[in-house]
Amino acid sequence: MTATVLESERATTPAPARQLTRRPRRRPRWAVISMLAPAVLGLAIFFVYPLIASIFFSFTRYNLIGGIEFIGLRNYVYLFTQDPQVVQAALNTLWFVVILVPVRIITALALAGLLARAKKASGFWRTVFYLPALVPPVASVVAFVFLFNPGTGPVNLILKSIGIQGPLWFNDPAWAKPSLVLLGVWVMGDIMIIFLAALLDVPRELYEASSLDGANGVQQVRHVTIPHLAPVLFFSVITGVIAALQYFTEAAVASGVASGKATIGQGAGVAIGYPDDSLLTYAQWIYVRGFGNYQFGYASALAVVLFVVASVFVLIMMRRVGAFNPSEAS
Amino acid sequence: MTTNALLLAPPRVKAGRARSALVWVSEHLALVILAVLFLAPVVFVFFTSLMTSQQTLTASLIPKTWQWSNYLDVFRTVPLAQWFGNSAIYAISSTVLMLLSSVPAAYVLAKIRFRGSSIIFGAIIIAMLLPPQVTVIPVYVMWAKLHLTGSLLPLILPNLLGDAFSIFLLRQFFLTVPKEYTDAARMDGCGDWTILWRIVVPMARPGIAAAGLFSFFHAWNDYFGPLLYTSENQAAWPVSYGLATFRGAHGTDWSITMAMTILVMVPVVLLFFFAQKVFVEGITLTGVKG
Amino acid sequence: MTHNPARPRLVLAAAAIAATTALVLAGCSSDGGSAAVGKAPKTLSGTVSLWHFFTDREAKVIQKAVDGFEKENPKVKVEVHTGQDDTKLQQVISSGGNVDVALSYSSDIVGNFCTSGAFVDLGPYITRDKVDLDDFPDSVRSYTQFDGKRCALPLLADVPALYTNTAMLSAAGITAAPKTLDELSADALALTTYNDDGSIKTLGFNPTLGFYENSPGNFSASVGAKWLKDNGKADVADSTWPEVMTWQKALVDKIGWDKLKTFTAGLGQEFSASNAFQTGQVAMQLDGEWRTAFIADQTPDLAYETSPFPAATDHSELYGSGVISGNVVGIGKGSKNPELAWALMKYLTTKTSVVVDLANGLKNVPTTTSALESPDLVVSKQFTTFIDIAKNDKTVARPSSPLGAGYGQPLADFWTKWQAGSGTGLDSGLKTVAKQMDNSLALVEGP
Repeated sequence: MTATVLESERATTPAPARQLTRRPRRRPRWAVISMLAPAVLGLAIFFVYPLIASIFFSFTRYNLIGGIEFIGLRNYVYLFTQDPQVVQAALNTLWFVVILVPVRIITALALAGLLARAKKASGFWRTVFYLPALVPPVASVVAFVFLFNPGTGPVNLILKSIGIQGPLWFNDPAWAKPSLVLLGVWVMGDIMIIFLAALLDVPRELYEASSLDGANGVQQVRHVTIPHLAPVLFFSVITGVIAALQYFTEAAVASGVASGKATIGQGAGVAIGYPDDSLLTYAQWIYVRGFGNYQFGYASALAVVLFVVASVFVLIMMRRVGAFNPSEAS
Repeated sequence: MTTNALLLAPPRVKAGRARSALVWVSEHLALVILAVLFLAPVVFVFFTSLMTSQQTLTASLIPKTWQWSNYLDVFRTVPLAQWFGNSAIYAISSTVLMLLSSVPAAYVLAKIRFRGSSIIFGAIIIAMLLPPQVTVIPVYVMWAKLHLTGSLLPLILPNLLGDAFSIFLLRQFFLTVPKEYTDAARMDGCGDWTILWRIVVPMARPGIAAAGLFSFFHAWNDYFGPLLYTSENQAAWPVSYGLATFRGAHGTDWSITMAMTILVMVPVVLLFFFAQKVFVEGITLTGVKG
Repeated sequence: MTHNPARPRLVLAAAAIAATTALVLAGCSSDGGSAAVGKAPKTLSGTVSLWHFFTDREAKVIQKAVDGFEKENPKVKVEVHTGQDDTKLQQVISSGGNVDVALSYSSDIVGNFCTSGAFVDLGPYITRDKVDLDDFPDSVRSYTQFDGKRCALPLLADVPALYTNTAMLSAAGITAAPKTLDELSADALALTTYNDDGSIKTLGFNPTLGFYENSPGNFSASVGAKWLKDNGKADVADSTWPEVMTWQKALVDKIGWDKLKTFTAGLGQEFSASNAFQTGQVAMQLDGEWRTAFIADQTPDLAYETSPFPAATDHSELYGSGVISGNVVGIGKGSKNPELAWALMKYLTTKTSVVVDLANGLKNVPTTTSALESPDLVVSKQFTTFIDIAKNDKTVARPSSPLGAGYGQPLADFWTKWQAGSGTGLDSGLKTVAKQMDNSLALVEGP
């Protein structure tokens, strides 16, 4: 995305740039500096420094109250060979990346397709399906956990009335993650709306032309719609994967509410991962180790590993971007 | 783009009348069923919010008595007004600060070439894409040593120095401002700040609005940030944190909690209805251009 | 894009700056050494902050005690922060906030705070003011110090015991509460009733680990199971844990794990009026002494009795004892007025009338022998059980550790999974748990 945009910029403006530098009036440097300075400073303080400091802390033992103690690779040894929960946390996070992201995108696409065909009151339908995405995530999780309560929640009650014995949803380790996927589907309005706009953006002429060439519906979807949607699909995949890698709020709140444990006294870590570590995500594990147990050194090691994994994902995806030329999309 | 939204797109130019009617009915039936499923959770939450506490513990769908007073009790049970206030302070100030710092930076990155611009932009992309947990610990240590934890300041102040996602977004929008306009202004002797203020900003208003909206909602819905920095001080809790956390020694009172949930949803929905056009335009522009 | 030859040097410079900054920022923590304390001030004045985790009704009880302290010292103002759990306390203290007196939820925090210095060493104060440590029962005294350093004083303790629903027991023909684990199982099965579809209607006793107060620690008293050896290493694999775990699993299997899981998922929240014991859905329950206060407040018509939690048949000498844990009070490292903090702390933890008032209000067990034996202590019939358990000399507390509550997690995690499985792999599982505990401790303490 970056490379192609910069390239297209360069492609269109070589000549004028040279002309500008020959003009008598210089572009005042201070304007550029003053405009960029806050952002560069921000990058230095809140991105570059913490990144390097995290790597630094990962080789220490530090609990914020005492001093810093160098322990070399001990944190990493523990992480890769002795930590009983890090594997589960990583697997859970990966599960969300691999399942939550595609499910959301496919359902959003399908619904957008359906909406694209509704002529009248399409704005109305669009609002209905987009509203859940507006709800603050904490509110929707609390609502869902209550609604899916195995004994007294409406979902199981309705299922019971049609003869189905509902599962234990957020209280069953096998069903807890799928329950969050259901929540993710409920709020897929945010990507559905983008798909809808992109779908409606496909020029009619393309469909008419392919129809004249004898293409049926499925072929049209494959050869006209999907290629046109490619950049938007790609955008959704990238943002989806990034969000899944840092999945925290929904899982943490769901565990806390579903476990029914009083949080007074024991803090946010008391029900983490409930039920049975099934909702323990990597981001939560960093939080528990860092801010629950105050093992900042070890939590930094966990963070560094996440950084490496996320960077690999990002690099792979940036490679893929080269394949899609965004200038075709409008 | 919005006018396009009303145009019907695709296929079936030559479908038979009967078949197209059947298709129309089945499509709309599907839409209705899905709409019911999507709205049902909100309806049930609303019903629960009007039940008595005892009834919420039983398996029932419709309130036996419609206890509207629950909505008043919410304010008596939890400092909801204070939480809303904190959320508003967090969201509004971080958005304002973000715009002040990010718009100029995005302009430079979009319109002005200089050595190092690609490094900076690359760093912004990476900063945008990395999970916050990677950088959160040293930043927390820093704020702790400055004795600023227990407030929303660690969440608001960084916006003074720009926000990676917003800069990226704004840059994409500023790229669409044709170079002829900025060149002409420069020929007339305008400095960068003037060009930015007089030309680029008015032309990229939808983009700026979109970036502002994103920033606002990111702050409004933020849970992790407040968890880290405000959990120790109840007076600083925003709504997102309060709703998830406030469970008194007597456990959760579900009717009050559901009433709280509805109240938390209301401002956002209202904002949407008033700013619908800006909303939809901004979000679709982001997705299509991003 | 031209490669700037200065770039590698720039990166190195940035790294050096970042590392130095990190060191400087981190090293800024002033050394909270145990400096000698001066003489006690004659009159107390100023503001002192009290941070505790109680809310609502219970917070009011603390407030009353605080008001008493302010009345005794008219120049003093106490700033109370409620709802501060252990995580928040750690956050505030470690970020250098002004925490004078901190009342922590449990003694788990002691090992961590004593070693790191988050709680000030109280030794000098105790010696100077001649505080009578013997007035604290042994078990309670043990969990307020770690590695020879005393950084906290106990304030009220919690003791679990068995609650039994009088009506349900007599309806099933059971005349006395069970005293052994085998009796408990038999009674539990006898008291369980079913719906027409086979699901559980009321449960005699819910053995599910993780349900309400069913924790490994609370079950350990029945067999005298130990957590740590004297050398500090985990004792989980070599102690009597398998005995109580097999008992629990047997009961789970007799009831049926799936039925149990479904039934448990539908039960109410522990601290609400829908608590399963208070609604009669469960006939017998392991719970702490605070439950008497909740019942009196929320469901006063419930007829119930309390008795010590059953011991294993071959450990009958343990019957009547239990595990004790409790709240602790300490002085935060960042305290600007440690003398005032110490005065408030002494007032709350050692002054008999205050301890008795707090115990009466919170319905927790008082932690000084003087208070335990005070005539002003309001002791209902059901509350006597807890007093007796607290006074029993076989009652133990969980040893402190710098890991805090974390070190009990591996056993809880293993037991939670194991109870749902086939029941095999107990010994190897416990060995793994012991290793995990040792590894965790090593990571925090060092080799």
